[in-house]
Parts: sequence; C-alpha cells; structure tokens
Amino acid sequence: MRIALLLLLTLLVPLHDARAQSWTDMTEFSGYLDSDIRFLVEDNRGATPGDGYRFDMNRNDLDLKLTIRPFDQVKAVVDSRLRFYGFNEAASLPELVKRDPIDPYSLYLDEAYLAVQGFLFDRMDLRFGRMIQTWGSADQFNPTDNLSARDLSDPFNYSAKVPNQMVELSLYPTDWLTLTGVFVPVFKPAQLPPSALMGFAVEYADNGCFAKAPVPPLSTADVGDLEKLFGAVDPCNLNFVDPEVRTLAPESTIENSQAGFKAAFQAGDLDFSLSYYYGRFAFPVAYTAVALVDPSTQNPGAFDVKYVAEVMYPRMHVAGADFSYSAPWLFDIGFVGEIAVYFPEEVVFGMRAYQQGSLVTEKSALNVPADPFIKATAGFDYTILPWWYVNFMYVRGFFDEFNDAYGVRNYGVGATELKFFEDEVVLRLAAVLAMDDLSATLNPQLTWIVLPSAEIALAGLIFLGDTEASDPLDYSAKEKFGQKAAGRSTVALRARVTW
Amino acid sequence: MRNSLAAVLLVTMILPCRVSTAQEKLTGEQILDKLDKVVNGFDDQEMDVEMTIVDTGGSKKSYGFNIKQKGNDRRLVRFRTGEIKGMATLTEAANRAYVYLPGYKKVRRVAAHNMNQSFAGSDFSNSDMATSCWKCLYDGHLDKEDESHYFLTLTPKQGVETGYAKATMKISKKTGRQEDTDYFNASGELVKTFRTANYKTYACGVTLPSIIEMADPRSGHKTTLEVTELKVNQGFKDSMFTERELQWGK
Repeated sequence: MRIALLLLLTLLVPLHDARAQSWTDMTEFSGYLDSDIRFLVEDNRGATPGDGYRFDMNRNDLDLKLTIRPFDQVKAVVDSRLRFYGFNEAASLPELVKRDPIDPYSLYLDEAYLAVQGFLFDRMDLRFGRMIQTWGSADQFNPTDNLSARDLSDPFNYSAKVPNQMVELSLYPTDWLTLTGVFVPVFKPAQLPPSALMGFAVEYADNGCFAKAPVPPLSTADVGDLEKLFGAVDPCNLNFVDPEVRTLAPESTIENSQAGFKAAFQAGDLDFSLSYYYGRFAFPVAYTAVALVDPSTQNPGAFDVKYVAEVMYPRMHVAGADFSYSAPWLFDIGFVGEIAVYFPEEVVFGMRAYQQGSLVTEKSALNVPADPFIKATAGFDYTILPWWYVNFMYVRGFFDEFNDAYGVRNYGVGATELKFFEDEVVLRLAAVLAMDDLSATLNPQLTWIVLPSAEIALAGLIFLGDTEASDPLDYSAKEKFGQKAAGRSTVALRARVTW
Repeated sequence: MRNSLAAVLLVTMILPCRVSTAQEKLTGEQILDKLDKVVNGFDDQEMDVEMTIVDTGGSKKSYGFNIKQKGNDRRLVRFRTGEIKGMATLTEAANRAYVYLPGYKKVRRVAAHNMNQSFAGSDFSNSDMATSCWKCLYDGHLDKEDESHYFLTLTPKQGVETGYAKATMKISKKTGRQEDTDYFNASGELVKTFRTANYKTYACGVTLPSIIEMADPRSGHKTTLEVTELKVNQGFKDSMFTERELQWGK
C-alpha cells in the first residue's frame, strides 16, 4: 500500500523535472551515537527521604537517519533510534536467563515520511507520514506550537517532541507569504518526565505510616473536609496504595483529529505569522477521582484505601500570532514574540469517597473554565561579543499549564552562551524563574568539542524551591519547580559522535 | 582584401583606445566596483569547501560545507560534516538570514547581531562569509599602484558596521581579484590577514585561487578554505534561496 502511494505521488510530480540519479546521489546517511550517564545530587526529592546520591539513568542511543531522493523533488526520510538502558531490570531468577531484562532497550522511529516538492503545483509541497511539527518564533516556549506533543522523558531536553502521523501541505503563493495546513488524524499525548508520577504519589513518614496523599483540584474547604474524613483514622492504620491514574484517551474518530493552519509573512526586518489550531491539550488534566475505603482483610483495625483517578485531554481551539524582528535601529537586537488565545473545553473535576461500598462524600469543582485564556512569550537575543551570546524571555504559561486550578503562571527564562578556544569549549548557563512562587531551575552545561563530530558535555539540572506546598490544602499552592513532580536535581555526563 | 585591410585599420584604431583605457587612472571606488564585478561576475556560483582551522598549538580540525550563491545577497550554506552536520544558513538579503537547526527541526530567523559571531569557530565571522559586495560596505582609497597591483585602503561606509575599522587590500590588475587584505581594529592593530594561493582551473573553466587563508597574527590562529569544486552559471532560480529550500535540505 505504501509503495503504491509512493508511486502515485511520484507520478504527480511534473515529469520533466525527473532525472535519473545514481544511488550515491540519491541517498544521504547521517546519525549519531550518544551515551549519557546521570547522577542524582540530592536525596530529598524522591519518593522516600534519603533516596538520592546515586546513578539514576544511563542511555546509549544509536541514531540512524537515511534520506533517499529518487528524484530532485521527492524525498523519503527515515530516522530511527535504538536506545539501550544501562541498568539491569531483572528482578527475579527467571528473568536472569533472558537478555532483555538484564540489558533493556527500546526502538524509536523519530521520523518516517515522504516529501514531494512541487506537488500538483510548482508552489505546493506535501509531507506525509510520521514527523513532528515545531511552530512559533520563540525558542522552545511556543504557545502557538500545539500540533506535536512534547516528549519530556528527558528532563534535560525541553524541545523533544513525540512524533505522530500527519499530512502537511505548504503553499508558497508569493515570496513573502507561506500558507501551511496540517492534519493529524490521531491524537497522541505528551510523554511525561519520570518525576510526573510523584504528582500522584502517596507519601509516607519515616515510620512507614501514611503521611500525605495528592491534593485534588478542589476548593481548600472541600480538601479540608476530605482531610478530616481520613484524619479520624490513625495514619498507621491507613494502607494507601499508590493511586491508579487512568487516562481517558480520545477515540480515534475524525472528531478527535487535530488540524492547524498558518499564514507566515515576510516584511523586511519583520517576519510574522497568524495561526489556528484545533485539537486537544497534550498534557493530562485532572478529571475525576474515587477513594474506596474498606477494612483491611489482612490487618484487623486497619483500612485499605484505593484511590482511582482519571485524567483527560480537553479539546481546545487556539488562535495565535508570532513575530521575529531584527532591529537595525537598536544594535541589531533580535526580538521575538508569540501570543496564543486558548479557547478550552470546560473541565469539571468530581470526586467521590466510598466506605465499604457506601458513598461518604461527593465533591466537585470547576477545574478548567470555558473562558479563553492567554499564553505568551516575548524576548530578545543578542551577541554582545563574538564569543558571548545572551537570550532572555518572559513566558506566560508553561508547557503543561492550561488554566486549570493551578492557573497560568509567569516565568523569566534566561540563557547565556560563552564560547572559548575557537568555539571548542562552550559554556551555556540557562535558568527559568517562576515569578509567582520564586522557585527556579538551573541548567548549566559545559560542552567540549574534542574534534569535529565528537563532543563531551557535563551538564546539571538543579531544582530550587520548597518541596512542600505553602498551604497543604490548596492545589495551586505547590511551587512550580519546588514540587517533587517537577524533577530531581541531576548531573549528567554525555558523549556524542555525529556523522 | 579590402575587408581585411578595413579590419586591420579598425583594430589599429581601436587598440590605442584600449591602451588608453588601460592606462586611465582608476579611483579606489572604481577598483572596488571592478572587484565586485569580478567576484560576482557569474549569475550564480556553487562551491564545495573544506575548511581547516589551525589553532595556536598547531592542532587542526576540518569541516566540509557547500555554498550556493546568486547575485550579491542570496546565499545558502550547508554543513556536511562535523557536529554541525545538517545545519544550514540562508541569507535572502542583507538584512534577512535564517538558520535551519536539525536538532530542533526548525527554521529560525537570526537577527543581524549574529553576523558578529565566528563562522563555525573559524577566523571568519559570519559577516566575513557574507561579504560579496565590497563597495556596499567600504569606501575605497587608492594608495598606490605598480605594474601588477593596486593597493587600496578601505574604511567602512558611514553607518555600516563591518567589524573592522580599516582594511588594506592588494588587488591584481591582471585578474581584478584581491590577493592580500589586512584588517585593522579601531586601535590600528592588525587583527586579521587574508591571503590567497594556488590558482586552479576548475571543470567549469574558471580559474580561481583554490586556497584562501584568514589568520590572526596576534595569536597565530588561522583558517584555510580550500575550494574543492566550483560550478558557475547553473541557472539557479531565486526560489532556491528561500526558507522552503532551507527546509527541503538538499
């Protein structure tokens, strides 16, 4: 079927431009080998106190990318990645006789698409298949960029995306206007960082007794009522199992498909675009929760508490605009700006608690109002000296914020890059400050380009802030980067060779 | 015979004129204009370049890239080796440049301040690599000339930021091309030297220096560009120098 499609698309390209080429001309091979070992540099942000100061992750990636151009105007791109994890996962004797648990691995297909330049018309291009989209003019914080979900599995890499199947048509009616339309048939959610599980984790005191359950997005009064309900029981007699969080994935119907349109304009020193997106928010939003309390069958006098939560991906319309501008009248500083108006689907959070099958309490609250809200980024970058570059942005609304009970918050993002020894050594210092609660994350990185193609990097990701919310009953009182779900402070040593 | 004679006469009449033109003293501006016409004397050019950076300790590193150019302004550079393989820069006009970042799969507009940055760690700045119109950037003053060369002093035009306070240039009268250029900072210190060597006739029939060297005499650091392949007048369309082409990535 795919071969037939390729043939069909090939035929649609004007034949006069087709010419025979050798395999050497037609194929281009590239990729990289990347090895990365990480060490936790704290012991207070894990599931249990004292967990830390240990190796946390080892990734060994072999990336192979092949680009084939059977004709000048046709190309097929396949980018695959084989990842080996360095830690043994065998937990039982039977697993020790298999290689996979001892040496776990996974295979990624980051891109697999065909592209046709001059599809049907000279001034129209088609891309079809598995790919990612990156819209917007700002660096990494792009509120207009919603077609491809984020892949936050690597906390050091904010910009990674989850690839998805899509069709992209681009029209170039004039030199100064580009029209792009993208259709994504099936919704794919964001991949969350490992620390996200901490957002729903039950915490225990040093004596092993129940200490704290995740706070639901209810009013503080309602959360207080729930606390009282459980507070009547000795915490050591509450056997909380970690919450089971179910995701309500949209069905694969056309109503749940995503679409985006963009008109990009060039006007002298200014580039700007207007965009529209219809689809779903790619990060999960709390929807329902049920607490089931039953007498323990194993420990008389104790209670088993099962907590089942549901999260969903609300629909949204997003109208956006972005620009980039080089200011010849102000030292050639580069300015970027991006604004997106989100029209969200309303989400009402509901919670019930049952004791021995009987409803004890029922609470609900408006988690995401249907009112439109704004996410935006504005910033500038400048090369102060040939070896010193700075970038600063104000960001309203982090990737995962959707005007739910946590709100849409304000951030300052700064980065500077210092190059030494003919760019062989690059020191990059980046920081994000949550202006509303003053928590922060720091990301220093020292990269040494040992030889062309080969580099070694030492990087850190440090979270600053209080792990405890200022008000334990308030869903929105968690510090953005202080809360454990944000991540763990880590140092990484990475080596990469590119070809 | 009459025709032959007429032709000889015509030639003899023309020759004094030509000699006269050749002996006519050119101004610095006219020499720069001529240089621009020689450098950009093709409708379009494509070069495969091997860049070797030699640091002060003598260690070398090399990167390969391809340059396509049309006119003075339109230029597309694609890196083919090294840790920046796949990265490409597009200059659509003097004030409009874009970079394709393969790691982000994104085209980003770069502000003009980026022209001050080093070109891949070399002795060339992005601005040096983009300079193909001398008379647009500099005022030229003819200091002296001998039988084979013009010697010019260049100063940046009013309001133009070139990264240098002054440059002196030696231009061959025979080829009309620059052979040596020395760049000075505001303190009058020699900060860069530009040299050409190893003239080569390429398959397209054009003869050019195949080695171009930019060095920092203060540190001993230098960068050599070796033009391994040159093609001219391939009929590049303007559409080859657009964001569309930058993304297409050929």
